[in-house]
Amino acid sequence: MMPFLFKIPDNFFPQLLAGMVVNFEIAAIALVLGLALGGLLALARLGGGVLGAVATPVIGLMRAAPTFVVMFFLLNIIPNDATLFGVGVAPSGIMIVALSLVPYSASYVADNGAEALQQFRRGSPLGALLFLPNITRAFFVLVMSSSAGAAIGVTEGIAVILREAALLPGLADKLVLFAIGILLFGVTLQIGFAIIRLLQRHLGRIATRDGKGVT
Amino acid sequence: MPVWRASLFVLCAILVGGVAVLPVVARADTPDAALTKLIEDARAEASVSGACTQPDLDRLVRVFCENRLRPGVREYYPLFGTRDGETRSGYDVDVGRELAKHLGVEPVFTRVNAASRVPLLAEDRIDVILATMGHNTQRDGQVRFIRPHYYQSESTIVGPRALAVKGWPDIAGRTICVNIGNGSNAQIVSHNARLMLFDEAGVLPERLRDETCFLAAQDDSFFDYYFTDPEFAARYDKKFGFAQVPWGMAVARIPATDRLARAFELMSQIFHRDGVFIDIARKNRVGTGFLERQQAVWSRPECNADTGAADPACVLPALKADLEPTPFAGRVIAFEKWFQTNTGFDLSLPMFKTMPAWSLFKAGIVNSLILVAGALAATVIFALVLGAVQSTRWRLLRWPGRAVTVVLQSSPVVLTLVIAAAVAHAILPYSSSVALGAAIVALGLMNGSNAGQAIAEAMHTLRTERGSASIRTRTLFGRAVGRSATQIVSFLINAAKGTPIASFIGAPELLSALTDITAFASGRASTYSLLLVFYVVVVMIVVWLCGKLRALLERRHEAS
Repeated sequence: MMPFLFKIPDNFFPQLLAGMVVNFEIAAIALVLGLALGGLLALARLGGGVLGAVATPVIGLMRAAPTFVVMFFLLNIIPNDATLFGVGVAPSGIMIVALSLVPYSASYVADNGAEALQQFRRGSPLGALLFLPNITRAFFVLVMSSSAGAAIGVTEGIAVILREAALLPGLADKLVLFAIGILLFGVTLQIGFAIIRLLQRHLGRIATRDGKGVT
Repeated sequence: MPVWRASLFVLCAILVGGVAVLPVVARADTPDAALTKLIEDARAEASVSGACTQPDLDRLVRVFCENRLRPGVREYYPLFGTRDGETRSGYDVDVGRELAKHLGVEPVFTRVNAASRVPLLAEDRIDVILATMGHNTQRDGQVRFIRPHYYQSESTIVGPRALAVKGWPDIAGRTICVNIGNGSNAQIVSHNARLMLFDEAGVLPERLRDETCFLAAQDDSFFDYYFTDPEFAARYDKKFGFAQVPWGMAVARIPATDRLARAFELMSQIFHRDGVFIDIARKNRVGTGFLERQQAVWSRPECNADTGAADPACVLPALKADLEPTPFAGRVIAFEKWFQTNTGFDLSLPMFKTMPAWSLFKAGIVNSLILVAGALAATVIFALVLGAVQSTRWRLLRWPGRAVTVVLQSSPVVLTLVIAAAVAHAILPYSSSVALGAAIVALGLMNGSNAGQAIAEAMHTLRTERGSASIRTRTLFGRAVGRSATQIVSFLINAAKGTPIASFIGAPELLSALTDITAFASGRASTYSLLLVFYVVVVMIVVWLCGKLRALLERRHEAS
């Protein structure tokens, strides 16, 4: 019997890496949109009044919305030929996955953004800067969650692995392939966490040097 | 007159009469003779002065009055109906030409598609539909189908040649790309396959090529064209066929079409018997298996008669496609109309209108609630187990516990689900319950490992704070659970939010059920809106319950 790795086509790893780039692309779009929407919601909540009263339940609803259901909802309610002022606005598969992650990213940004703003107003800019590692954490959560795109035919990293796995007859071979996926995504995640730790240490050093506590 | 003379006279009269009648009976017995008479009669009527201007003119007579036959054909259905400039080609087009030729009139084609063919017939803008139309019981009420059927297609599963799929048992748990409204979708669903829906069948070959789809299902007649491309044929093959549906020409369902329909029936019989359909199929490179079987049928003496088209032993039945309505379907339709009238929004609730959809919907809700409850319970159990393992002072237990947690944290949710399903299916035969169980275990492991890590970290801080104080491990563990209450609750909510993704491995929860329903019914927008509302409400209830749990754990923690 041939060793497992000989059965993997030559173009598997390039395709997998290209797929993982799509995961990052989706996460970046979702985060940018989440920052814009979540920032506005955070400001509205802190501002109080009518806007604040509206923002709080909206954030709650976004927090409760399951990404996978939002993805299918968007996929099915936006017509393929949707136009706005004569311009086609039907989103691609990648955009639909990114949009489905926006409720999560926006509610996360709203929660952490409001906290950062409060820290800043209390005179703790370093406390406010904790927003950065938190956002980095959210980005890597979004990278991992973007694998949901495989369900609607988006060729991201997991879709590439599953496509290859479908051609393998035995469970053992499939498990080896899945392990490669976990390894690659795991390394990405651990690099992300390392970046978060570096950011936190860097902020901690600044706090110690300036004699200000991160509250 | 003597009796013997009278008897002889009667006998001679019968014989003479019989001889005189016999040729007539023989002629009327064959479809050819019946067709000739029908055409002659109609032509004679059409030639009478003023006949062609009569109201409610018989449609066959009108064909001769206007000296044209107006078949409705498709223009974008490769091998069956295509148009290149002014040139039309395809099996359906050539059948239309042959019909017109037999009638001795000119064919005048009109473009139709799947949505417009019946309305155009009803509006009398075409005489006959010749447009890849499957004959099912639902359509029987809209048009008058011509028998014998002029072709038969079947749905076929197409996929990469390297993929070993031979029948329904190999389909369970796999995703199959289909177009919405395809008559065979319900059958695919019943074999535990997941569907990926597309608006148009035309995109399916391209989605196979760009590997968005691994398997696709459509009529074999549709894929025939793509298999003429050597590159496509080298990469993909037909796995298996199912849901045979006969194709019928159709005329309007009104009394004025009686004779036109009869003429088409007789021609169809003759075309089958004489191999005319087979010749046309060969010319257009479409499959001839069905036509060859039909030639054998229509060559049999009992079918090769003018009554053959009405003989159940000769003709094929229509495909049964009627979906049983629910007892309250009428009220649902009335509500939809009322809603549209009062709000202007087009609300469609297919899950309440037919029994198969209603059953799927009810089962989907029950399975979703089981999945949520199971995922929550599994999260708590795995959190406690992995928390305890990672809190132990034995390295041989602690390190594997941590390794499992790191692996689970590093695996994207979809991949973890697929691994759980692959392992479950290697042990047990595929079933919806197994998929549901695998999803519960996967969701519990993913969220439980994170919550377990939080418990272990809390345990570590408690031990550090208390030094070597003699507190029973069980008591300390209880306090660690209390201290990590916020984290546990957070991952419980996460588990509830993650349950719909179980549909990816075929767990029959509400998202799966509604996807199946929309595959054979309309109303996608309202269906998925309802789904979103359902899951948001479920998650909010879980959030509320988890808030109560957190308060309880924190009270216990403070008390200790």
